[in-house]
Amino acid sequence: MSFTGAVKTYGAVRAVDGVDMRIAQGETVALLGRNGAGKSTTISLLLGLLQADEGTVELFGAAPERSVLAGRVGAMLQDSRAVPRVTVRELVSFVAGRYPAPMPVAQALELAGITDLAGRRVDRLSGGQTQRVRYAVALAGNPSLLVLDEPTAALDVEARHAFWRSMREYAGLGRTVLFSTHYLEEADAHADRIIVIDRGRVVADGTGEQLRRAAGGNLVSIDLAGRGTEGLTLLPGVRSMEVRGDRALLRTDDSDATVIALAELGAIRGLEVVPASLDDAFLALTAPEMEIV
Amino acid sequence: MILDYLRLEVRRTLRDVGFVIGGVAMPVMMYLLFTNLGENDGAWKTASMVGMAAYGAVGSALNTGGGVAEDRAIGWLRQLRVTPMTPRQVVAGRALTGSVTVLPAIVAVLAAGGLLNGVRLAAWQWASIALLLWLGSIPFTLLGLGNGYRLTAQTTGVTNMLCNLGLAVLGGLWFPVTLFPGWLRTVSGYTPTHRFAQLGTSIADGHAPALGAVVVLTAWALAFGSYAVLSYRRSARNV
Repeated sequence: MSFTGAVKTYGAVRAVDGVDMRIAQGETVALLGRNGAGKSTTISLLLGLLQADEGTVELFGAAPERSVLAGRVGAMLQDSRAVPRVTVRELVSFVAGRYPAPMPVAQALELAGITDLAGRRVDRLSGGQTQRVRYAVALAGNPSLLVLDEPTAALDVEARHAFWRSMREYAGLGRTVLFSTHYLEEADAHADRIIVIDRGRVVADGTGEQLRRAAGGNLVSIDLAGRGTEGLTLLPGVRSMEVRGDRALLRTDDSDATVIALAELGAIRGLEVVPASLDDAFLALTAPEMEIV
Repeated sequence: MILDYLRLEVRRTLRDVGFVIGGVAMPVMMYLLFTNLGENDGAWKTASMVGMAAYGAVGSALNTGGGVAEDRAIGWLRQLRVTPMTPRQVVAGRALTGSVTVLPAIVAVLAAGGLLNGVRLAAWQWASIALLLWLGSIPFTLLGLGNGYRLTAQTTGVTNMLCNLGLAVLGGLWFPVTLFPGWLRTVSGYTPTHRFAQLGTSIADGHAPALGAVVVLTAWALAFGSYAVLSYRRSARNV
């Protein structure tokens, strides 16, 4: 699938503001961003639920609607609730029946871990159970591309683990999986590749390791001990600074140079050098410009 | 493909307690009540039977729109759009659902008339009344779909109820229009509900429906059909 300069605006808001990306068959990709970053709009464009105002979106080399009608896509959408007055089996069987080559209903139920709920009415299940039903609905058609919009939002820890195992299993069959999340650990642990979206743009694209590196290697922190922060951002290697209580946290490309410069200033109380975590990388990538120096 | 969808939606409708009580049990109870309190002649038992069957059919037809509004609100229509079903199939399936779910009300009230109230008609009359009430409910399904695709789930419920009660009373489905003052009787003649019931009462009286009834009802069908199409287009843009 590919996005080329895709733009989608709502009034004055550019929800998707010139997105370029390309996902190859068989990849497992995480779409990472905070709430309101444009993840869901991107997914709606990908599924043909919305039309791009500018640019093009293609799915399996065709317009998204065509690939959806051809039964190559299964999706778990955000904000969809339980379908009233149907049983789990009725619902999953119905959706499976729409596709040209669905998986057996029993297999979809098993992959989603809801075999024991098959005879229950969907509107009488808990939030987490409903979420797993929606996952089964997405799987039912045995699609080449599985799209999951914030798939773990309502799941408890145990269900979350089971879900990721199941998604891995499905991806292992050679399917393409795209999931969105605002949890970094999930993106890092379960995707081959992370695409970070912020304010409608792709701000980073790579493996978790590449993102960590791209965002600046190390974090140097010191106790301010009453001194001001002026000049710290001008030290060699420093790319940005954050003040937490009485500590200054400096993100740096060259921690050696930064530490030496700090030593010359005599500002080494409580000095600590740690590799930037993926969380730090994410914050650096999506921080408002003014915080990045 | 549409048949599977129809089966699913009919099943969902019949499991709706509100539908079974409001759309089927209520018209039967009201019919039995209205025709057995005080003194009533056989003609009223027959006319009211048709009127209440029509009332039940209108309620059930509008209820289809309530289902659409609900499915929009919970994201089920959105989910269907990411399956290989085309939007056209979904709408057609919904309209067909409406045409199936009006049947229980029609059959139940006619059965109450024949079995409990001693209404006697020829076999062709029973069959024609059922058939005409079935076909004549199409404009109301369209009205319901128009509401369901345009309004939120809550406002659809209220709007459908107001349409149902207002049109039922005004169309003389509950009380004979002969009780109305002259001007109201004139208004009643232009309501879809009055003309809808007239399809059945003509047959019960032993003759074919008047041309006027067919013309007025067809005009309403076109109006409600356009309304449904406009509402659908609008909602498709916002899905």
